[in-house]
Amino acid sequence: MVVVGTFSYIYLGSRQSKVAVPPEKPTVSTPRAQAVVLPGTLYVTQSGALYDLSAGRFHQLTAEAGWTQPTVTPDGNSLLVVRQNALFSDVYVLNRFGHVVRQVTDNAAPPRNLDIGYNHWSFYPRLSADGQTLWMTYDGLKCHPECYDVSLAVWSMPFNGNIRQAHAWTDGGYYTGGDVQPIPLAGGVLYTKYSYGPDGKLVGQLWFTSRAGSYGRPLTDPSVDCRSPSLSPDGTQFAMVCTYEKQVSYLTIASWTGETLGPLKNIITNQLVAQPTWAPDGSGIAYFAPGAPAGPFQLWWLPKAAYAPPPPSPSPSPTPGGPHNGPLPSPSPAAAAPPVRPVQLTTNNGFDATSTMVWLG
Amino acid sequence: MSSVAGGLAYFIPAAQLAIESTGKVLQVTPSPSTLPSPSSSAAATVAPINGAFTVLLLGSDDDSKFIGDHVLTQSMILVRVVPSTKQVTMLSIPRDLFVHLSTGGSAKIDGAYSYGGANAAVATVEQDFGVHIDDYIWIGLLGLVKLIDAIGGIDVVTSNPVFDDYYPADIYSNWPYDFERVAVLAGPQHLDGLHAMQYVRSRHGDLQSDIGRSQRQQQVLIAIRQKAKQLSPADLPALSAALGGELKTSMGLSKVAQLLPLASSFDNPDAINQVILANPYTHGCGCPETYLTANWGLILPLVHEYFP
Repeated sequence: MVVVGTFSYIYLGSRQSKVAVPPEKPTVSTPRAQAVVLPGTLYVTQSGALYDLSAGRFHQLTAEAGWTQPTVTPDGNSLLVVRQNALFSDVYVLNRFGHVVRQVTDNAAPPRNLDIGYNHWSFYPRLSADGQTLWMTYDGLKCHPECYDVSLAVWSMPFNGNIRQAHAWTDGGYYTGGDVQPIPLAGGVLYTKYSYGPDGKLVGQLWFTSRAGSYGRPLTDPSVDCRSPSLSPDGTQFAMVCTYEKQVSYLTIASWTGETLGPLKNIITNQLVAQPTWAPDGSGIAYFAPGAPAGPFQLWWLPKAAYAPPPPSPSPSPTPGGPHNGPLPSPSPAAAAPPVRPVQLTTNNGFDATSTMVWLG
Repeated sequence: MSSVAGGLAYFIPAAQLAIESTGKVLQVTPSPSTLPSPSSSAAATVAPINGAFTVLLLGSDDDSKFIGDHVLTQSMILVRVVPSTKQVTMLSIPRDLFVHLSTGGSAKIDGAYSYGGANAAVATVEQDFGVHIDDYIWIGLLGLVKLIDAIGGIDVVTSNPVFDDYYPADIYSNWPYDFERVAVLAGPQHLDGLHAMQYVRSRHGDLQSDIGRSQRQQQVLIAIRQKAKQLSPADLPALSAALGGELKTSMGLSKVAQLLPLASSFDNPDAINQVILANPYTHGCGCPETYLTANWGLILPLVHEYFP
């Protein structure tokens, strides 16, 4: 019995586990051969390092040092990236090769202050279209030390200013949850608000507010539980993920008029979708999702034809000729177009699914 | 030692399937003296289980602030599995609920384990909620971290950002009363053991405090169940090593073997009922000890509906 047990233990231990294999760096292997080559340059993060994907190859731009949530300046020449450590996070400007140009926020508590509650978090940076205003999620509204709350809210500050010039656009609610993922738009800012729905559960909703301090208005219903908005290059659609308060994450799109969202359309319902991002040429949507059930998140690509199929080709016009005496030919049924499916671009990379990706043309 | 290791290697496949079947955490590690023999054929011969069964999941802070097994159960989740309908129900019992203990007297229900171990916790829940519990599974903080790491992490749709400026740094710190800052962002993501623990344990800043935390615990349990389906025999040595000493259960091999045919048959998220005893089922008493008072007139009909 002992021999059998020992043998089985050693035998099993010698086999390669598939479930706990650590992800590889994206630079170890190129995206799958059968995959499409994405246009432009896509920036993603893995294990705290920033990578770009261009011409079908990944390049590591920074060390694994807490880098996450890249976005781009309006001129396309620089990146805004969050650097997170155990106690705080800050927004930095990097050039497109990953070199630090400058630090924008300074969220570390003063060295003399040993209370860790005086540190701050900055996440989800975005620049206004004129490049003058930095928008971000920031926990500046602390009730510390009277309470424990970390209230995330949408803040703005002069891009060339400092954190003391920042002011809150929303109040975040003073509870776990808050307002995150701001997207500055003409006339206001769109963001994800996490708050308690009618059923008592914390859910995400897209909100829009037109001025600092105003209450704002919801764009989606609490029961749909949507978050991670991404605006299409032409500004007419939003992609997002919606969970319906379950452990699912659908890729959902809706038209955008500049004030209201159209009906939600779920276009992927069988994957755990994160961070949908439109291609700069409008040819599709990239997103993260597990490559295998319950596995790390990989890069996927959904061609536009999957959610905006081309209109059917017109019926052939009758051939000119004389009167037709015989039976009319029955039109042969048009072959149904095969469904357009998402394409998995990576197989074992484990990208940071809470990090936005940014895509330049 | 080798017989123990070999026994574990044999035992865990059934355990893994039990995890899937109950929809919940793990199982394994009866005392080594009662570990089944690898040559046992019980698993191959027993009939599959058909009747519903109920398991009490217990999770404890077992860091160095506590002495021996005198720990509180910060998490208590009743899980009922109905094989015939493939329904799973999870009911989280608030740790601050003021109840009669099976060992005598009244106190918060999280103290039942510290007064009399798992059997006392089971007896307390049975007596107060009027349910029959077939088995229990207890896991400590570090055990959950190691388990999730051993299975390669889990995919969770974190329902909201969980930020905590004063999260207890008591697992890896030399000083168990230390704090750390926690920032778990919202949305679908792959969590390792440490971050999954942060997500389910943090309660500062959650308006619903322990109730909100219970909802997050149920999310992680569902994710563990999903990941458990991917396990293969190659994962067993690492799993058994991860769980040693951090997990206790009343389940025996024969019970686990009975659960085998249920494996991977619970795929419908709509068939998982998640029950939280928030207001009006419970309410704070306003007293300094932060007890929750039970509205048994509402709780018992609810419990009897899901745990008949």
